[in-house]
Amino acid sequence: MTLAAFGTVTLLACLLAPLVGSTSISLARVFDRSIPFADNTDAQVFFVARLPRVLAAALVGAGFSLSGVVFQALLRNPLAAPDTLGVSAGASLGAMLVLTAHADFTLFGVSVVPLATFAGALGALAIVFVLALAKGRGTSSTVLLLAGIAISALLSAAGRFIQYLSDVTGTFRTVQWLMGSLDVGSYAPILASLVPFGLACIGFATLPRILDLISLGEDAAEARGVDVVRAERVALVSASLSTGAAVSLGGPVLFVGIIVPHIVRRLVGADHRLVLPASALFGAALLIVCDLIARTIIAPVEMPVGIITAIIGGPFFLWLLFRGR
Amino acid sequence: MVAIPGPLRLRAKGLGLIVAIALSLQPSALLGEARRVISIIPATTEMLFAMGAGDRVIAIGNYDTYPPEAQKLPKVGALIDPNVEQILQMRPDLVVIYGTQTELKRRLDRANIAYYSYVHKGLSDIAQTIRSLGMRVGADAGANALASRIEQQLADIRRRVASQPRPKTLLVFGREPGSLRNIDASGGDGFLHDMLDAAGGADVLGDIHRQSVTMSTEMVLARAPDVIIELRYSKDDVNNADMSAWNRLSAVPAVKNRRVILLTGEEFVVPGPRVAAATRRLAAALHPEVRW
Amino acid sequence: MLQATNVSFAYRHGAKALDDVSVAIPRGSIVGLIGPNGSGKTTLVRLLNGTLTPSRGSVSLDDVPLSTRSRRDLARRIAVVPQETHVTFDFSALDIVLMGRYAHLGAFALEGPDDMAIARRALAATGTDALAPRQFATLSGGEKQRVVIAGALAQSSDILLLDEPTTALDVGFQFEIASLLTRLNRDHGTTMVVSTHDLNLAAMLCTELVLLKAGRVVAHGATRSVLTSENVRRLYGVEADVTFHPRAGHLTVVPLARTE
Repeated sequence: MTLAAFGTVTLLACLLAPLVGSTSISLARVFDRSIPFADNTDAQVFFVARLPRVLAAALVGAGFSLSGVVFQALLRNPLAAPDTLGVSAGASLGAMLVLTAHADFTLFGVSVVPLATFAGALGALAIVFVLALAKGRGTSSTVLLLAGIAISALLSAAGRFIQYLSDVTGTFRTVQWLMGSLDVGSYAPILASLVPFGLACIGFATLPRILDLISLGEDAAEARGVDVVRAERVALVSASLSTGAAVSLGGPVLFVGIIVPHIVRRLVGADHRLVLPASALFGAALLIVCDLIARTIIAPVEMPVGIITAIIGGPFFLWLLFRGR
Repeated sequence: MVAIPGPLRLRAKGLGLIVAIALSLQPSALLGEARRVISIIPATTEMLFAMGAGDRVIAIGNYDTYPPEAQKLPKVGALIDPNVEQILQMRPDLVVIYGTQTELKRRLDRANIAYYSYVHKGLSDIAQTIRSLGMRVGADAGANALASRIEQQLADIRRRVASQPRPKTLLVFGREPGSLRNIDASGGDGFLHDMLDAAGGADVLGDIHRQSVTMSTEMVLARAPDVIIELRYSKDDVNNADMSAWNRLSAVPAVKNRRVILLTGEEFVVPGPRVAAATRRLAAALHPEVRW
Repeated sequence: MLQATNVSFAYRHGAKALDDVSVAIPRGSIVGLIGPNGSGKTTLVRLLNGTLTPSRGSVSLDDVPLSTRSRRDLARRIAVVPQETHVTFDFSALDIVLMGRYAHLGAFALEGPDDMAIARRALAATGTDALAPRQFATLSGGEKQRVVIAGALAQSSDILLLDEPTTALDVGFQFEIASLLTRLNRDHGTTMVVSTHDLNLAAMLCTELVLLKAGRVVAHGATRSVLTSENVRRLYGVEADVTFHPRAGHLTVVPLARTE
């Protein structure tokens, strides 16, 4: 499958998903300029309820998939998840802290929860950075992995402690947040997440061939001309920014980041110059579809999107795996 | 004083002692009267104090913040983490617990301590619970008076709104701070729904038979409530920016007509003696045209 | 031209792996690094290609210290064939070889027809053209090693560092690789440093030898003067017969008894 094919699928998903939902709306009414927007229910369903969801799903799906690809190459482990280095644990801790404290404010249209989540992600990244990367000439992936596991465990424990101190409401809100939700209802959080995601993509753009080489081993990559220390730093920071942006927008829907790289590799091969962009496109499309199912399958109520990604992604991946045998 | 020979007196004293010990070892609930009551549920704690049995309460739950005179009592946990050791140490003769706390029930059975199993149900069950709890602790009179008073007040509210049109109402009791994500609203079951019904509102989610429904923005637009009531019960301030999140859904009649109402207070989420006051506040918000 | 001067190196957790070692690799030579396990051979190879930085002393290429050159420049001059190569993803043999072209391309450039031709030639030179489309992970140890050597050839460098290149190969392939390396050296003047346990391979292949023991150079010089039974005994504690084999055309080492 070529990149163009992936791109077409993703574009179709973006265009068609807002047309489908638990409420029936008339497209004619949606785009009817004669009705003032403030009174046009159909238009609000399309532009306030559905379209931001679809765009958020695209960003979250792409964000997790990209960081999944990078972590899997960096750690030379095809099962590495976007949260192997504790970025998601840090993000979750940030969310839990504000939900427990019942903090309630908004900055530039972005509410406190996404802000705190992103701050937590950056915090985790900073810790891993200081511990693993500042030591001497870069780091072996084993040290990186172990540092990440330790940080992840520490931050998860801190999160559980916060939950313990929390009242029932705080705990309930935390559980809800952990299941993921793409119902952002406005464009401000999407634009806010686009900033770190954009930065991450700039980093990602320099990496594809380097990821191929690093996956052979750090020494092997260096012997072929890769500046491994610098490349690993760029990769780590970009992947963490990408995960951070995705978690703050939609919650920890991490499974996407583990399975999408695998599915994509089965479809396009191992060359990261294809795998990286294809994963972003496929991840976006997958999450759009999963969210669509989540919001229509038991209408009028919804299912958390994290459950759908697991139900769909898991068996699909198994099918691909056994089909190839 | 009748002269009783020495050895007989001693024997009488011994027998009396044995009887006294035997009596004190019985779960006193069997006697219909409890002197040392622990309640770890906000609703029942309020009920006990409101029915006049507050002097028998020796400990309360972590989240029991009302009435003020209860606050000086030790707090021994709640639904998720009851402090079993502390409860046992205090030697209560009745513990009011949730029906789902099976582990705690087992421990109390082993320690031969009686318990009252509370189940959180609808509005009408509140009066019933007050009466049965009153019987258990031996405060029947106070309990009956309290229950009757609540029933009368609710009937009064119902009567006043009976002739008014019932606006389609969305009753929200929580959402993610600063946004419209994970809106938790009352469905067609449970005491919040019953309160809304008594206050003269038509629950816009009445067809969904669950106590709580997590709504999406699309669903709010689809259901198009005339009134949105948001309940908050912690002491935090609510700043303007937060309620303004609803303005994104300007096509919803409640938003367009500026009938998004914030009501704060714990009486809304504790199905206890203050429900009548809570229902009255709901009714006043829904029907400002009636004199309250 | 590739020179290590008074280098010492200690790993973070251990004792000195190399102590005051000086080695000169003349242009066009094939230098063998010989020594028992733990003598510091691999460390020296990693220092020579710049993967490790010496704690004392320096390594320079054409009198320019390695540390001043970029990794890409170094990769264009020096290629490495490690002992083992583990591949995480399903790359084909051709993919592995093509990756050797990285140093010659820009960060965003794709391999062109010239790069493809170089890769094909490298595969042919190691007798692995038939393996090109196969998944690297499914190849045998010997096939993998030959593909990796092809990858090093594709780097078009003038220096080749090989760490135990023939350990996993059967005698047929050992001979073939040795002939290939000799041919490369003769036809292209490729300078080589070969670290090996195989004394007979060293004798066949190398013009010079550096003998290492416990991180120090014990002897170095032309193969025929350095490869003696005396030195074999000093290095390995083995009594061996070192004689010139007229039909083979080089020295052979036959171990006889253990002395230590």
